[in-house]
Amino acid sequence: MTTPALKVTNLSVWFETGPGRLTVVDQISFSINAGDATGLVGESGCGKTMTAMAILGLLPASGIHVRSDGIELDGRDISTLNPAQRRAILGRDIAMVFQQPATALDPVFTMGQQISAVYRRHTEGSKQQVRKKMLEALESVGFSQAEDIAASYPHELSGGMRQLAMIAMATVCKPAVIIADEPTTALDNRTRGLILEQLKQLQKLHQTAVLFISHDLSVVRQICRDVMVMYCGRLLEITDCHSLFANARHPYSAGLLSCIPQISDKRPAQINSIPGQIPAPSDLPSGCHFAPRCSRVEAQCRTSVPALDYADGRGVACFRPL
Amino acid sequence: MMNRPDQANKPPLLEIRDLCLSFQQQQQLAVDRVSFDIKAGRTLGLVGASGAGKSSVGRAILRLVKPDSGEILFKGKDIYGMNRQELKATRQRIQLVFQDPSASLSPRRTVEQTLLEPLQHFAIGDANHQRDKARQIIQTVGLDKSALQRYPNQFSSGQQQRIAIARALVTNPDLLIADEAVSSLDVSIQAQILQLIQMLQKDFGISILFISHDLAVIRQIADDVAVMYQGQLLEQSPADQFFSEPSHPYSRSLLSFAQGHTPKNWQGDKWQLERIRKSAENSFNCVFSDYCPDKMEICENQEPAMHNIQFENQHIPEPHCVKCHLYDEVKSHDH
Repeated sequence: MTTPALKVTNLSVWFETGPGRLTVVDQISFSINAGDATGLVGESGCGKTMTAMAILGLLPASGIHVRSDGIELDGRDISTLNPAQRRAILGRDIAMVFQQPATALDPVFTMGQQISAVYRRHTEGSKQQVRKKMLEALESVGFSQAEDIAASYPHELSGGMRQLAMIAMATVCKPAVIIADEPTTALDNRTRGLILEQLKQLQKLHQTAVLFISHDLSVVRQICRDVMVMYCGRLLEITDCHSLFANARHPYSAGLLSCIPQISDKRPAQINSIPGQIPAPSDLPSGCHFAPRCSRVEAQCRTSVPALDYADGRGVACFRPL
Repeated sequence: MMNRPDQANKPPLLEIRDLCLSFQQQQQLAVDRVSFDIKAGRTLGLVGASGAGKSSVGRAILRLVKPDSGEILFKGKDIYGMNRQELKATRQRIQLVFQDPSASLSPRRTVEQTLLEPLQHFAIGDANHQRDKARQIIQTVGLDKSALQRYPNQFSSGQQQRIAIARALVTNPDLLIADEAVSSLDVSIQAQILQLIQMLQKDFGISILFISHDLAVIRQIADDVAVMYQGQLLEQSPADQFFSEPSHPYSRSLLSFAQGHTPKNWQGDKWQLERIRKSAENSFNCVFSDYCPDKMEICENQEPAMHNIQFENQHIPEPHCVKCHLYDEVKSHDH
């Protein structure tokens, strides 16, 4: 068996507050092989971004607690690295694409300077070599005038261009794993299509493992083979996209799917949604967190937590799966 | 209900005629000769990529920006010819819901204060009536009346958007402008807000200008669809017609992208990336000609006219027009 590019075992993230413990990520485990893209979907506040930050070790040391039985990058545990060791792998072996390129990029440096800086940090090379690599990275995400883009400041680029430039920055060192946190959420359909296409090509080219975080299942479907559904810090379903869209087994996954607006010839007579609201982390129901909103709920769901059971390569955490 | 049969003969609620709007510093036309109508009780979905000029149209309707030329008629009256009093009365009838509810609600006011302010500003009823109205409207949008005493930061983004919608509805407007009102919300919450808007359409017979970049969202609630590109209106069609067979090549490519595939003969892979270097100074061609998969010679030399097209099998009295040379040959009645 091959070593997965990214393997996360029993990762938890919680806050210690006055009245008690607020758990935002609850014992999640998954792995992604090289060349695969896996989606992590869920509504805002379900712990998706916390998961990403915990994997990268970017959460502040005070107030937030992270525990895991290992976060392995190509078989090497990165959960116990010291800050200097961590800096050496960030950007080189694992990189992140953020949701808001406008705030993630530095306004006072050109794109060329920012991308070169990432490359220089991890690799020796002459000025010309660094510049060559930087321009290659820009070309690889689809810019035909890489020189112009390299000379631009972030504010001179449109939102879509900024996001592509940021992907170029994340891929300049050809990391084994990329975590993309809602990279297309702020963009219109068309720019989104373009960026997903570029990301897909890069992923194939370099055999990168991608953890693609999004609240939008239809976007995840376009780029990922596998998908994990998260709710209130727990993974409820892990499967491949095709099976999820064909027959979701967890009632929450099915509910999420029914919310996606569809373009059909007839205007829908009725808009579907999941009744109720996401509980606050301070007010999580016991048992299955989704039980109060679930149409298939029974007594057991309210008292005990269903484990993520695997069968035929699909995992579902539900006592009464569909 | 308010939909009477003689409605077809009445003037539209809102008429926009040849609206032009530019921003001086950029010397660029944000809105370029845009014309459309919104009839009472109907929802127009205004769609286009970011920067197409959609929001500028919405702002012009509220007289938040001054257009270079053109007319905006609300119930037959030019909004830009109104005096202060008339304008105030009109603004009561036109309300706006923004994209980001956390930024559009005042963090230092309770929900009740936020809801009472428009009623006080327009002097609608006495204090008791105003408080009743606030209680009633907060329940209409699906929140408990205990919400009135809380502050916006105590609500989730979906609930905040409900409050923003309640604030817009409290003056009983005729026209609601929803500018990307569900774009920043998660799909599940987006669905709940769309449900709410759908309910408001049915129960209040309100007209809505629904601005969005997301065609799938527009499909859920629009009666008509208008497509903007680089400041120009390229197509306006009844929604069923638009989604089964869009007329303009740009509309077709938008729809293909929204359905998750790249359109046939697609020329524009790099268009978004290079657009920023381009200025829109010349209007001697079709704005979409550089990227159009169906480009003809004429498209580069002559700006297409807005053709009013009616297909044989179509008996819908709603406007259906397209600005494209492909329809030069089609039997057209000019607008």
